[in-house]
This record gives sequence, structure tokens and C-alpha cells, in this order.
Amino acid sequence: MLKDSTGYKIVLEWLGNKDFHPFAFQQEAWQHILNQESGLVNAPTGCGKTFSVFIGAIIHFINAHPKDYQTKKKNGLQLLWITPLRALAKDIGRAMEEVLGELGMAWKVGIRNGDTSVTERTKQKSQMPEVLIITPESLHLLLAQKGYADTFRSLKMIAVDEWHELIGSKRGVQVELAVSRIVNSQWSMVNKKPSVWGISATIGNLDEAKEVLLSPLSSRRGAGGEAGVIVKANMNKRIEVASIFPDEIEKYPWAGHLGIKLAHKLIPIIEKSRTTLIFINTRGMSETWYQTLLDIQPGLAGSIALHHGSIDRELRTWVEENLHAGNLKAVVCTASLDLGVDFRPVETVVQVGSPKGVARFLQRAGRSGHSPDATSKIYFLPTHSLELAEAAALKKAIAQNIIESRPSMLLCYDVLIQYLNTLAISDGFIPEQLFKEIKNTYCYKDLLQTEWEQVLHFITEGGNALQQYDEYKKTEIEDGVYKIKSRKLAMRHRMHIGTIVSESMMKVKFISGGYIGVIEEWFISRLQPGDVFTLAGRNLEFAMIKEMTAFVRKSNKKKSIVPSWQGGRMPLSANLGKILRQTLDEAAALKSLSSPGVETATELEVLKPLFDLQQKLSHVPKANELLIEHIETKDGFHLFVYPFEGRLVHEAMAAILAYRISRITPITFSFAMNDYGFELLSDQPIPVDDSNVYELFSPDNLLTDIQRSVNATEMARRKFRDVAVVGGLIFQGMPGEKKKARHLQASASLLFNVFSEYEPGNMLLRQSYQEVMDQQMEELRLRDMLHRIQQSKIIITFPQQLTPFCFPVKVDSMREDLSSERLEDRVRKMQLQLEK
Amino acid sequence: MAAYLSHMIDQEHLVMSAERTMFWENELTLIVADVHVGKTGHFRKAGIGVPQNMYKDDLHRLLAQILFFKAERLVIVGDLTHSLVNREMDLFRKWRKDFSSLDVHLVKGNHDILDDKWYSEADIAVSKEKLLLKNFLFVHDILKKEVKADKRQYIFSGHLHPGISLRGRGRQSLRFPCFYFAKKYCVLPAFSRFTGTYKVEPQEGEKAFAVIEKDVVPLY
Repeated sequence: MLKDSTGYKIVLEWLGNKDFHPFAFQQEAWQHILNQESGLVNAPTGCGKTFSVFIGAIIHFINAHPKDYQTKKKNGLQLLWITPLRALAKDIGRAMEEVLGELGMAWKVGIRNGDTSVTERTKQKSQMPEVLIITPESLHLLLAQKGYADTFRSLKMIAVDEWHELIGSKRGVQVELAVSRIVNSQWSMVNKKPSVWGISATIGNLDEAKEVLLSPLSSRRGAGGEAGVIVKANMNKRIEVASIFPDEIEKYPWAGHLGIKLAHKLIPIIEKSRTTLIFINTRGMSETWYQTLLDIQPGLAGSIALHHGSIDRELRTWVEENLHAGNLKAVVCTASLDLGVDFRPVETVVQVGSPKGVARFLQRAGRSGHSPDATSKIYFLPTHSLELAEAAALKKAIAQNIIESRPSMLLCYDVLIQYLNTLAISDGFIPEQLFKEIKNTYCYKDLLQTEWEQVLHFITEGGNALQQYDEYKKTEIEDGVYKIKSRKLAMRHRMHIGTIVSESMMKVKFISGGYIGVIEEWFISRLQPGDVFTLAGRNLEFAMIKEMTAFVRKSNKKKSIVPSWQGGRMPLSANLGKILRQTLDEAAALKSLSSPGVETATELEVLKPLFDLQQKLSHVPKANELLIEHIETKDGFHLFVYPFEGRLVHEAMAAILAYRISRITPITFSFAMNDYGFELLSDQPIPVDDSNVYELFSPDNLLTDIQRSVNATEMARRKFRDVAVVGGLIFQGMPGEKKKARHLQASASLLFNVFSEYEPGNMLLRQSYQEVMDQQMEELRLRDMLHRIQQSKIIITFPQQLTPFCFPVKVDSMREDLSSERLEDRVRKMQLQLEK
Repeated sequence: MAAYLSHMIDQEHLVMSAERTMFWENELTLIVADVHVGKTGHFRKAGIGVPQNMYKDDLHRLLAQILFFKAERLVIVGDLTHSLVNREMDLFRKWRKDFSSLDVHLVKGNHDILDDKWYSEADIAVSKEKLLLKNFLFVHDILKKEVKADKRQYIFSGHLHPGISLRGRGRQSLRFPCFYFAKKYCVLPAFSRFTGTYKVEPQEGEKAFAVIEKDVVPLY
């Protein structure tokens, strides 16, 4: 038992000296670790989650070596600590070293990531530290080293930090594969296997998260239950949500604003608390907010900072360090500060605009009030009036503890291809053995033998070829072992391993020298030299692009383009959408209730005038209703539909609806959408009425209709870029290989065309389409929505003017076209509008 | 819309084809640019598995064009091959042998880095910088300084892989390869289908013909 063990006593004494006591969940985790079980610790940041696993490993070691645990050196790797962020490694390493020092142990802590120097790596190779903190990419690079299995021979435990962040991504798949390889290689060497522990914040599918992580263990039955345990911290932190209200709701913009009008209300909040984090949804808007706060309160200069993913790493580190030190009054940030260790001085958090999901809102709220029993305070600042209803919905979700799931990715062929090549570089692999191993991971559990053969064919033969005229070379087969023998190919592949995370980002530098940050390639590609844009709080004039770098000079122009980054396109989660619909129920009920004593969120009371107007002009839909508005303006005939299912589902639904209507009559539409609803606009009346509306929203033939209506090809083309990079089709060049490297460059878009035409069955191509269906269209959610609508009451109204509901849709959105006119006619029309 | 379209320059009929070739009627000469033979092979040798059928298809298309026009001469305005020698070039040489009566002229492009011996063995006449045939001049890159200075004749060139964007309402935008006719020169679309495009923007008085699937479509 834990409590009788030497290790526990020593740890307890050490904690006691510091006047600390272990939390119940930590002790629970330690006990499971001593039993050599695997599992998942569910605890929020700032509650000692690191120690719940790390100290467990220490106790285990002390128990095994009670006499000489302090002096025992060079024990080989004991604990592998996988973390999603490089920035986290240093802080965690420091905390661990502190513990080891105080316990007088000779363990070493090493860090391995893109920043680790070559000398350090060589040192690690000859003698691994006991604890290695590593990113998923670097772990795969380790697997690309000859004799990697020896490194993991002595390993006792694999810990995966922030698993909730990794699980929904391809990096999570990398973790699954690495865990599976390490577990199996150790088993085949010494008939043992390490225990595996995930650490995760609360998500809707914790059980699944555990299953995904522990799945590779099931192939090697040894001691301990493979099902694994979940240890919950159960620290229900109190969270207080306060909305910032505009003074007059009717005068507050209905749509399309950044909330800047309310910026002055943040000043007292910032001044009142020690440090405030202000979360903005997009990098572009964060730039604007930073400037605005400085304009309103110039006194903040020097004590307010900006932090987002496109800012130079050094500058970000500076901001983080000063946050720790309590030198900053406020930091305007994006999701870039969602993760990571705690900044203790942070007392208050402000969320500007919809957080799009409950989990994210909670995580951000948790950035304040760090001691486990402190209350986290978060302010919600709406960017348009209706968002206040979202605040009410968020409060409700928090009270009912309804949190989104993070489903893991399935059957990622690109990651599998990369992984096989990785193993082919180091010690090679034998397909029959590896297939069994891979089938034990959650991601590839449904991988078919034929698909596996296709992957092998692709890496050894390179797909279709002209036999005697072909010299394809990558993975070769030698006595049944698959290997990459060319050093050059191996080197190129190693350079590719880290590329899963990178979007198509471009560096931004001054012509005169000096690095500013990174920016998405597509944004830069639309700029003309001389255009001015904002990055890292500076106005920059675009000069030229050279070798994947955008060169700029300083600009004094006042007007600039604020880049919009990918992050801005995150849709409202299904959860939040559902609660929002329920919230509207209350809002609808509110109007008939003047009697006191009925509990309603204050946000809804504030919104009452708006809802009254909506009701007067049209209707406020209840949870079991779908509202459709026909409105005619000088622009034409509008059809507004409000499913509250998030931007992506609306985008797909708009296209499908347009397609279905266009089969009734030849008609051309333009679309608009936001997280609440979508709009179809046409120059002729739109034939949707009670007689056909249920049919138009039918889930029947959904797949066929999607394929015919949505420009899935264009979406897949965009997805293909990532897939092709991970799958090794895009060669990004490497230092010292200049001219001929250019002969190996082809854009993702060109490759997409080539494969579509000449090898349409290619698995990477198929994967791109699948990713579009799953992520871009959220097909499952779309289908659920249609089923829900079939059960709902559809209410069609004919307002005489634009309504409060339709306004944000109209203003916020981008437009897409769908037309039932023939292609030739369209090309002819397009000719008339030739791009200048 | 049609698969072939004729355009007149200096009293000479030039027929553009949707297969990205141009036929000079009076001289029975087929003109192509940027064939990039061996490109798929070059990628494949480096472990990037692009489908090789595309290359075979390119050769078939070129064959079909020569037969269709009954061309007696083929002029390649640069980038016949893509990089170093690889096995795909054997197929090209075999292809070339089947057409031994065809005159083949290459104006060297930046990608044409093979030894002289290779060209002579393949029976290809090579011009290093330019080729003058009657009143027309053939070069690879129109933007090269030496070429810019020399504008007495109308010039045909390649290198650019010109493409033209058509933009519809909303955010629709499609890019197609094109024949680009400036006042003093023409840039041909890249013949190989394993090529991207570079956006050109015709000015007043210039012409462009887009290749839209199986058709050549005049713009401007």
C-alpha cells in the first residue's frame, strides 16, 4: 500500500517540511502508479496535476531503491514527459529539478525539442537523463534514430500532459503511435512495459480520451488492468461570470463590431486588479484592441502587452516572463495563452466576443484565481448585442457542467505514411508485426488490410508508375525489412517530421533586418507591394516576398489592413448552440412574464427590448422551433434561417438548401452566414413555404446533395496542403541544397490537380475529402441538425424590414455563390468581370 | 468555344490548341513551351510519389498534336527537360525516334542543363539563346535583358507559365493557363500538365486566350 511505502513517507516528510499536504486525488494517483496501472488524471491547471504523476514516479523509484535512491545515478530513462508546447518544457523541468534537489536525488531532467542544441542531444544519446520532457514531433525524431529501442529499455512511465489539447489533432495521433512503438519495443526486449498516464482538463469524452491513450497497451497484457483508471481532482473551482453591458442596448451595434465601443469599460477592471488577461478571438482583432486600449488610456503604455501566435517567440517569452513576475497590468492575447503554466499574478480574465465553446470559456476563466479555493472571475464583453444571449447560455452550461467533447482523429493516412518512413530510417520495420501493433492504436483500429497494403505500396512503389522508366526510391525492402537506405532521403524525412503543426506560415522581416513574426501565406499573397498591414502592434508596409519570407518596412500610415487569421473561423460548438436555443426559450417566455420571482439571467433582461422588437417584426424561436424569415429589400429577396449550429454547418446547409431550391426553379443565390444562422439572397422570390420546407430540410440524400452543391473540391484542395506536407509529397527545401531543390518544388494545389486527374484513388487525396466532411462540413452535426429540424416546428415569417436576428448574419459574413446556371454561361459572365 | 482558335500576327496564321500548343500554318511548325520531360521522374527519384502517367499523357498529347497538324517541324521555346538525366528521358528518346522525319529545334531554357551530347544523340537542334525563323524570333524568357533589347521581330517565348484569373461575384476566382499576346511578343502556356501558372494581367491592346478544359477562349 502507498501509505506504508518508504517512498511515500519520504515524500510526505518533504512536503510536511514545506507545510504542504498532498491532495486526495494526488494520493489516489500515486497509489495507482505504485500498482503499475495506467490511466488519466483529470485536473484543471494550477491544482498540482504535474505532481500527481511526477511524484508518483518518484515514490515508485524510492520504493524500488530505498537504500540508495539519493545516490543512484545513470538509471537510464525512467519517465518520458510528453507536452504539446515547447514553452512549457522549461517551466515544468525547473519545477521537477526543484523537487529532485530538495529530495537530494541524483536524477537528471532533460528537455528535447526543436530548441535543444546538438551538443545536448549527443549528451542525451550517450546517457539519457531520468526524466525527458519532449514534444510529439521530437519524440518521433527519437524514433528515427538507430537503436532507439535501447533508449526506452528502462522506461517506467510515459506521461502525456495536456492530453485534451493533443487528442483532437494529428499530433495526438503521433502520440498514439509513439506510445504504441515504445510499449511494444520494450516488451519485445525485456518483457515489460511502461505505464501510461494522461493528464487532461475536463472534456466531454474523458473516458474516450483515456481509451485512445491507453489503447496501444492492450496488445501486451501484463500486470495491471489495461482498462485504466480515471483519477478526478474534483476541485470544483467557483467561477463567476459577469457580462459587460452596453448602456443602451438599442444603440449598441446589432452586428459587425469589435466591441471596441465598450473598451472604456475595461479600464476600471484593469486598474482594479493586479493583472488582467484579455482574450480576443482573432489575432487581427487583438492588434486592434491593443491599440484601442492604449489610445483610451495612454497611461497603460509600458504595462500592457500583446501576445499572439504570430508574434516573434522571443517577444512572447518576454511577455510571459513579465506576466510571471507581475510586471504587467494587462495582456491582450489570443488562444496563444490558453495553454501553459499558471501566471499567478493574473486575477481577472476578460473574454471579448463569443468563446465559441464552453470548454474554452472555462479554461480561460481558470487562468485567474489560482489557489485551488479561489474564485475565478471572468468578464464577458459582447461584440454585438445578441452575444449577450450567448453569455446567458454559457452561465447555464457552466452551472450544468455541460462541456464539449474532443473526438480523436481516425485513420490519418498522412501521419501513418510519415511514421512508417520514420521507422524505415532508424531500424526498419516488418509489416506483419507492425500492422498488428498499429491496429491496436485507437486511430488505426479500423485500418483494413487492403488500406495497409496501399500505404506500403505508396511508400515502396510511389503509386502508379511506368515500370522500366521508373526510378522511384524511398522505402526499400531488404529480407522482409522495410528500410530507407539513402542518407539524403533520410535527412529530408527528418526535416519533415516537425511539420505537422505548421500552417502555411510565412516569416515577416524588416528589409533592414529584424524578425517580427509570422503570418499566414494566403494573407500575404493577397497584398500588393505598398499595402500596409498590422502585426505585433506595428504598422508595416509590404515590400516583397523572397524565399518564404515577407519583407516589410515601417510605415507611418494610419490606415492599415488588419490580417484575419485562421483562428477567427472557429464555429460555435454544438453544445453551446443547443444551450443557446434553450436560452432563447426563456427569452421568449420573458416577455409574457412580468411577475417577479422568476429566475432569468440578467443578460436576457438587458436584451429584452431587442427580443421584443424581434417578436414584433418576426418571431423569437423556441428550442423546438426553426425560424425562417423572408425579407425583401432593394438588394433582392432574402431568406434567413436560424439553426444556431455554428458557421461551418450553416455554410454547408446554405449550399445544400440553395442546391435543393435550384432544382425547383433555375435560380442563383449568394450566401451569408454566421454562428446563429444563414442567408440566401436572390434576385427573384425564393420558393420556400409550408408546402415544401420540411422536404428541403430533409436528411435524405444528404451525401449526394453535399457532393453536388458544396464546392468540396475547393475545400479539399485547401486541406490537401497539410495532408501532402505531412505525407511527404511537398518538399520544403533544406539548407545547402539550393538550385536543385527548386526542381523538386510543386505547389499543393498543382499536386492536388495532378492526383485528382491521374490517381484519383490516392489515399492522401481521399483523406483530404474526408477531412473536409468531418471538420469543414461537420457532416455528423449537419445530419443531426436535419433530424432535429424534422422534429421541430418550422415557423416562416415575412417581416417588413430587417430584424435584430438577421442583421448580424447580413453584416458579419462572407459570401459564396451557388448557381444552377450552366458552367459555360458562368464563365461567359465571369469574363465580363475580368479580374483587373 | 472551340478546341482550336486562329490568331493573326504579321500576316501569319497561328492556330492555338487547347492542348497548349501553337501551330504556325505557313511553316508547318508546331510551337510548344516548357515540356519539362523527366519532371515526374525527378520527383519520384527523390521519394515523392507523383503519378507517372501524367508524363506518358504529355507525350501522347504532343504526338497527337503533331499528327493532327501534320507538322514537319517542332520548336520548343525552352525547358524541354526538367532537371538531370533520368530514365524517363529514355522514353522521350524512344518517342523521338519514332518521329525521325520531324525537325526538332530547342531554344535552351534555364532547365535545359543536359550535356550537348544528349541533344545531338536525340537529334535535336539546339540554339543557346534564340532562333530566327523567317520573320519570327523564338526565345525562352522574354524578360531576359538580352532579349528585351532585341525587338525588331515578333517574339515567341515560354518560361512564364502564364495563367489568367477569371473572377466572378463573391469570392469565386479560377485560374487557367493562357496564351498571352503582348504587342511585341507572345508567351505560350506551359505544355506539361505538371506545371503551375503565373498570373498575367493583360494591358490595353494586349490579348489573352485562356485554355479552359477542352476549349481555347478569347479574352479581351
